[in-house]
Amino acid sequence: MATLTIDRVRKRYHHQEVLKGIDLDLNDGEFLVLLGPSGCGKSTLLNLIAGLDEITDGEIRIDGRVVNGVHPKDRDIAMVFQSYALYPTMSVARNIGFGLEMRKVPKAEREAAVRKVAALLQIEHLLERKPAQLSGGQRQRVAMGRALVRDPKVFLFDEPLSNLDARLRIDMRTEIKKLHQRLGSTIVYVTHDQIEAMTLATRIAIMKEGVVQQFAPPQEIYERPANMYVAGFVGSPPMNFLPAVVAVEKDRLGLFVKCEAHGAWSDVFLPLPPQVPVQLGNGLAEHVGREVVLGLRPEHITRAGSDLASGQVVVEASVGVLEPTGADTLAYIGLGGQDTVARVKPADAPRTGETASFALDLGSASLFEPKSGARI
Amino acid sequence: MATEESPPREGKGQEVMVQQTMPEPAAPAVPALSTPPAVSTVRAVPDGDRRLADSVQRHLSKLVVAPSFAAVLLFVYGFILWTAYISFTRSRMLPVYGFDGIDAYVRLWSMTRWNVAIGNLLLFGSLFILISLMLGIILAVLLDQRVRAEGALRTIYLYPMALSFIVTGTAWKWILNPDIGIQAFVRGLGFETFRFDWIINDQMAVYTLVIAGVWQASGFVMALFLAALRGVDQEIVKAAYLDGASLPRIYWGIVLPSIRPVFLSAIVILAHLAIKSFDLVVALTGGGPGYASDLPATFMYEMTFRRNQIAIGAASAMMMLATVMAVIVPYLYSELRGGRRVQ
Amino acid sequence: MSSSLSALPRTHTPGARALRIGLYLMLALFALYYITPLLVLVATAFKTPDEIRTGSLLSLPLAPTLDAWRTAWNQACIGADCRGLAPYFWNSVAIAVPGVLLSTALGALNGFALTKFRFRGANVVFGLMLFGSFLPFQLVLLPMAQTLGFLGMAGTTQGLVLVHVVYGLAFTTLFFRNYYVSLPDELVKAAIIDGAGFVQIFTRIILPMSPPIIVVTVIWQFTQIWNDFLFGASFAAGGAQPITVALNNLVNTTTGVKQYNVDMAGALIAGLPTLIVYVLAGRYFIRGLTAGSVKG
Repeated sequence: MATLTIDRVRKRYHHQEVLKGIDLDLNDGEFLVLLGPSGCGKSTLLNLIAGLDEITDGEIRIDGRVVNGVHPKDRDIAMVFQSYALYPTMSVARNIGFGLEMRKVPKAEREAAVRKVAALLQIEHLLERKPAQLSGGQRQRVAMGRALVRDPKVFLFDEPLSNLDARLRIDMRTEIKKLHQRLGSTIVYVTHDQIEAMTLATRIAIMKEGVVQQFAPPQEIYERPANMYVAGFVGSPPMNFLPAVVAVEKDRLGLFVKCEAHGAWSDVFLPLPPQVPVQLGNGLAEHVGREVVLGLRPEHITRAGSDLASGQVVVEASVGVLEPTGADTLAYIGLGGQDTVARVKPADAPRTGETASFALDLGSASLFEPKSGARI
Repeated sequence: MATEESPPREGKGQEVMVQQTMPEPAAPAVPALSTPPAVSTVRAVPDGDRRLADSVQRHLSKLVVAPSFAAVLLFVYGFILWTAYISFTRSRMLPVYGFDGIDAYVRLWSMTRWNVAIGNLLLFGSLFILISLMLGIILAVLLDQRVRAEGALRTIYLYPMALSFIVTGTAWKWILNPDIGIQAFVRGLGFETFRFDWIINDQMAVYTLVIAGVWQASGFVMALFLAALRGVDQEIVKAAYLDGASLPRIYWGIVLPSIRPVFLSAIVILAHLAIKSFDLVVALTGGGPGYASDLPATFMYEMTFRRNQIAIGAASAMMMLATVMAVIVPYLYSELRGGRRVQ
Repeated sequence: MSSSLSALPRTHTPGARALRIGLYLMLALFALYYITPLLVLVATAFKTPDEIRTGSLLSLPLAPTLDAWRTAWNQACIGADCRGLAPYFWNSVAIAVPGVLLSTALGALNGFALTKFRFRGANVVFGLMLFGSFLPFQLVLLPMAQTLGFLGMAGTTQGLVLVHVVYGLAFTTLFFRNYYVSLPDELVKAAIIDGAGFVQIFTRIILPMSPPIIVVTVIWQFTQIWNDFLFGASFAAGGAQPITVALNNLVNTTTGVKQYNVDMAGALIAGLPTLIVYVLAGRYFIRGLTAGSVKG
């Protein structure tokens, strides 16, 4: 359990810079998820924290101590690998205890520690088996046991669930979360799965091309994405991006958005809530007359009921394809000059081809600069 | 080994073992869960010492490879250079180091015996490669038909590779000897005019090398192809079968083309074996009759160790190297490039 | 290893039956081609000289006798020395055992270092070493003879051990390197984080995973060294000659009456060790060797 600081970290391979100045600061007991597509540099960053790769520039500090150039074994970290990397010729017990054995921990102590961890992970009955005799989920547990047994300052997870089938992945996700809550350890966790990131993290760092796009708690990332990349990466189905123009009509600040109703497209004025919500930022007034991108999550486009919440406006739009998912039905509607996804209650679901009224929750919307993609 | 055992770690006093025992929790239901499992070791190792150990670790890899690499540099590349130099001298019984230009090469190529050896290599090499390849593929495809006793048959086809030709040549010489071998055997059956005397016929002796060489190497080709056949994607075979392709078509059109790299490997290995063939000739024909079945390998040995023509021997060795390079270098190039792509 | 056709159903029509009979017939004919020389060797080695003169090539011995074996083992004359093949057999053992062990150990270390602890230029080093496996040994005969003389190892079994280790390195390194390349790098990373160093990772994790490739390498090196004739003929003098050279001398002796049965028994004695190794462990060898050479 410790703090972790990543300070202006850069990594170059030959002449290619794969990490372009990463700054992250973790408090004791935090669960950081590095989220991004493959090739964004998240695994490289994890390897640098582990000491498996040499840093080109910058500093990594664990508990205030600079660990640049310190051998991985002396960093007091433990790592869980994507392929689990269990030693195939050793029993589960020896796999778990190997790190302690290398550190010359006396045998009795070692065995006690292994048993404790095995009990924690409920794999006591597997201790004498070889990795080849285990199922995927059991191997995953052993890999975690190997990390847990050393009680390191920082745990590193490299896409640990990606080799499991969907069902098991959800179970293990919950267990990792429980473990974190019990042990209160500091964790850095790499994944490309945004649901894992949302469910596990205390803070998420979203990376793209070697740059951190946003470093914030999950809810903030979801509600106030720093740019269109983050907004599009997190959330399923992803956020809708509607081209819009900022305008003032009848003294109300609002947006013109293209809308298709009864078979024809027209510009519709969407007044922003009277008290422009904080999210929409100050200084929107100076954007009047300019193009912006309106970011609306599917759940913020619902069927218009009898009473509107504050910030909601109603538009009429034609309905295209419907996709029932069980809990909700996704409706593709003609809004913003394209198909936009609305999330409606199955009972309220309109019919394909008809024009229906939808409530847009502009109070929860995000606005982005069309060129840079940055949040306004 | 010693470098590994002792990463400079100071005395036990400084290496504090902290047994983390949390206070017993009130609720007995979760004792194991609420206790951070295990032992943590807190060390205070001076960074300097550790760096030293780490840097030894970092270089250990190079240190381990270094002796082998040095040996290869000296015993392979150094010796090639040495032989190359000798081939430009006038050395006869003992090496002399006065530079003499390409005289040895001129004399080499003017020797009938060398030209016979090179001609034999071309003839023997092409027949040996072609027949071994065909036989190996046929055997592999036959064995691939889910036959009984496959293991035993494979062992029989392959065992010649395990034996030295000095050993099996003894039997081959006997079999090919007209007075006591096949010729005598067939004549004994009543075919009085049957002739099979290649081994003592200077026009035909080189073909006995092909017979015996193919016998020894084709099983290996079979094993190469059999292993590759078994790596072929089952889905492709299934798809072809569902498309109505006949068995020969599946092999000829789908399976064999998909293992094309093995053809290349097999040809390269066979060509290499052909160029190196030495004990095959020594055991079977001794290069005879006369020098009718000489190959460059036996020619070189003869010149160097029996005829006191060291420079000519060296020149012939260089010609062998050139032949091998012509086969190997394009192959290695394609293999290494292929390897890089995978990484 | 299962047939490349194992996904397809079997057919049981009369035509298919006839084809299968033809198939087995061809397989049997090929088997005869490969087995005949060995049968000739064995049959003749158990015959008496009289029976060889009167009988035919392929006939089985009527009254099998071990006389020829005894003669070949410790009475046959090789040159003027009439101690049989036994001393040369032990020479081959003295060359092959250390030669195999040393070259295999070095190959394993090299393969490990070149794949799991890669350093700058590791590929170049490997490429240069790999070339050695294609080297026509005629190129090194002369300088090697000189070097062995310089080291005082000319004509000794130790000299041959050195030669076989040096020129076996390319193969052993290639085998181990190809095998280790296929082991996941994450294993090594995990072990590094667990606190293991170069030697510990090798001995505790990688080596215990290596028996398949060790079998391949040991068999390969053993057959190469045991069956070697070129180096033995070039570098070993009289008393230190390996059995292949002695056998060749025995068979090609022109003085006295030709004892074919002794020649054949001698050949079998020389061939028996590799034959036994091959029959016992050949399966693993083929599997590993073909995997290695296919991959290059």
